[in-house]
Amino acid sequence: MRSLRVVAAKVAAGIGLAVLLAASPAFMADAQQQKAPRPTSGPDANPLDTSNELLSKTKQDKGLKPHPSPLTVTPVEKITVDKLKVPAGFKVEIWAHGMPGARMMTRGDKGTIFIGTRVHGKVYAVTDKDGKRTHKVVAEGLKQPNGLAFKNGTLYVITIDQSLKFDGIEDNLDSPKMTDVSEQFAMPASVHHNWKFSAVGPDNKLYTAIGSPCNVCEINTGMHGLIRRQNLDGSKVEVVARGVRNSVGFDWHPQTKELWFTDNGPDWISNDGPEEELNRVAKGNEGAHFGFPYCHANGVPDPSVKRPNPCAGVTLPAATLGPHAGALGMRFYTGNMFPAAYKNTAFIARRGSWNREQKFGYDVVQAKINDGKATITPFMTGFLDQKANTFWGRPVDVLVQPDGSLLVSDDTNGAVYRVTHGSGKTTAK
Amino acid sequence: MLGCTSMRRSRALAFAIAAAFWVALPFGVAAQSLQERLQLCGTCHGEKGNSSMEKTPSLAGQPELFLTNQLILLRDRIRLSEVMAPFAKGLTDAQIVELAAHYAKLPPEKSPEPIDQALVPRGEALAKALRCGSCHQADYAGGEQIPRLAQQRIDYVIDSLIAYRDGRRYGIDTSMNGVMVGVSDPDIRALAHYLATIP
Repeated sequence: MRSLRVVAAKVAAGIGLAVLLAASPAFMADAQQQKAPRPTSGPDANPLDTSNELLSKTKQDKGLKPHPSPLTVTPVEKITVDKLKVPAGFKVEIWAHGMPGARMMTRGDKGTIFIGTRVHGKVYAVTDKDGKRTHKVVAEGLKQPNGLAFKNGTLYVITIDQSLKFDGIEDNLDSPKMTDVSEQFAMPASVHHNWKFSAVGPDNKLYTAIGSPCNVCEINTGMHGLIRRQNLDGSKVEVVARGVRNSVGFDWHPQTKELWFTDNGPDWISNDGPEEELNRVAKGNEGAHFGFPYCHANGVPDPSVKRPNPCAGVTLPAATLGPHAGALGMRFYTGNMFPAAYKNTAFIARRGSWNREQKFGYDVVQAKINDGKATITPFMTGFLDQKANTFWGRPVDVLVQPDGSLLVSDDTNGAVYRVTHGSGKTTAK
Repeated sequence: MLGCTSMRRSRALAFAIAAAFWVALPFGVAAQSLQERLQLCGTCHGEKGNSSMEKTPSLAGQPELFLTNQLILLRDRIRLSEVMAPFAKGLTDAQIVELAAHYAKLPPEKSPEPIDQALVPRGEALAKALRCGSCHQADYAGGEQIPRLAQQRIDYVIDSLIAYRDGRRYGIDTSMNGVMVGVSDPDIRALAHYLATIP
């Protein structure tokens, strides 16, 4: 029995004792596909190699740990939006709140903003009706529903262990009809770095990023550490990018239609790097290798997982995004509200570091694209108090609205901010 | 509350007692007073939050946020436990915070389980290599969303680490699943016995 529940089908009671601590069948299949798995039990169990000198050399682990995202609602009066800074002429407001863990966003054809979460297990839907903005939970009890995509009236939700479809969901937000298409979509179900990111590309295929199941380790390159695409019925899976440690954000350049993606860097190598990456899959370079686990950032060999010529044949990044920055959601600006210089540049949410003594990131940056390379400048700051080394919010995803405004989600406060320019009205093209 | 001093009381029996307690109450756990709820929790987790029941965690001295998170995950059926599900059901966030605050303040005591000293050096080397002490702190007291490991039961630590490795459990994020990739059962036992030596 699965833990999944859709709100509409919520059963009042009686299921308490029935749910067992059973391993998910999908996970077991995943484990079986791994080549020569390292035995972890029985007489042949392989002891972990503790001789790695890197582990004893680095002086970085002084109580560093991931930051908690609250599971409870942050009251709106505690969201200090006035601390946020944007360039002159821009304005930030709280657009929606009360959604603990709000992360990746996608927009329905009729204007619903769907928002995924991780451990919270919920998918929210934000709608405007009669001048009032409300949100509701359209699915819950899922295993990290981070991957959301929308096409032709259907919401796709890719979780750690399931692929789900909600046909015609915008006409049926109160009792959405869910179809489990896990078998057709055949995604791996290992847990770590496997809260997928998904989007439908200009070729009408579903693209999904699948991270590595570890910090740095040898991986099965056909399953983990990649971005793949498949038809919307799940068929014809192709790998678009390999050697990707953990991408949680990508978009297609509006003019070239090339795929650009962010990639999170490894932990525990040093406070200052290797830096995270903004990558481009150039035309004709589909299936290219982006370096993980052997070669990080702008050609930094991994100190523990080694191979000869670690960076040979590796596509290096279009730009680096800073050490431990947590670069996640990214979208190209296609709207008509911001000044013309923003057109076709990318906004990137850097959720902020945990594996670094001096915190870094906690902002939204702009990537200006030139000839396949990018330069990075700050756009929205103020989540981080550098002097106190504390933060009050963490931007996760960005989404351009049809009116040209930019939405920014913050999973620490369960809120979405809206950035506008000038009068907040769309200018004529 | 039952005056039972047996160290190795059957877990199933205690659960049956607690379940009977729960069923007998007309409105379930959520309608009880804090004192009634604590009595119920104490049946398995120990009156003062130090468990002498096999594979049942001690709660005393655990960080308040960790306890809050876990009870919410159990209530919302993100963390699946057939034992805990009926007890977490229907609790409000405020009731959960109240329980968490109570247990966070109690002094943790050493588990009565025997430590296999032969496993300790191996466990210590592994804990260093896996950087357990970075998130769980050098004294393994934990903090915020990260649980205390010092004074936790050996059998519960073993069960939890295997569940993380095998993808049957994850925390507030999946860090533990990443850390445990490829760690063998014997290594997990060594880790748990080493952690039990932390004062």
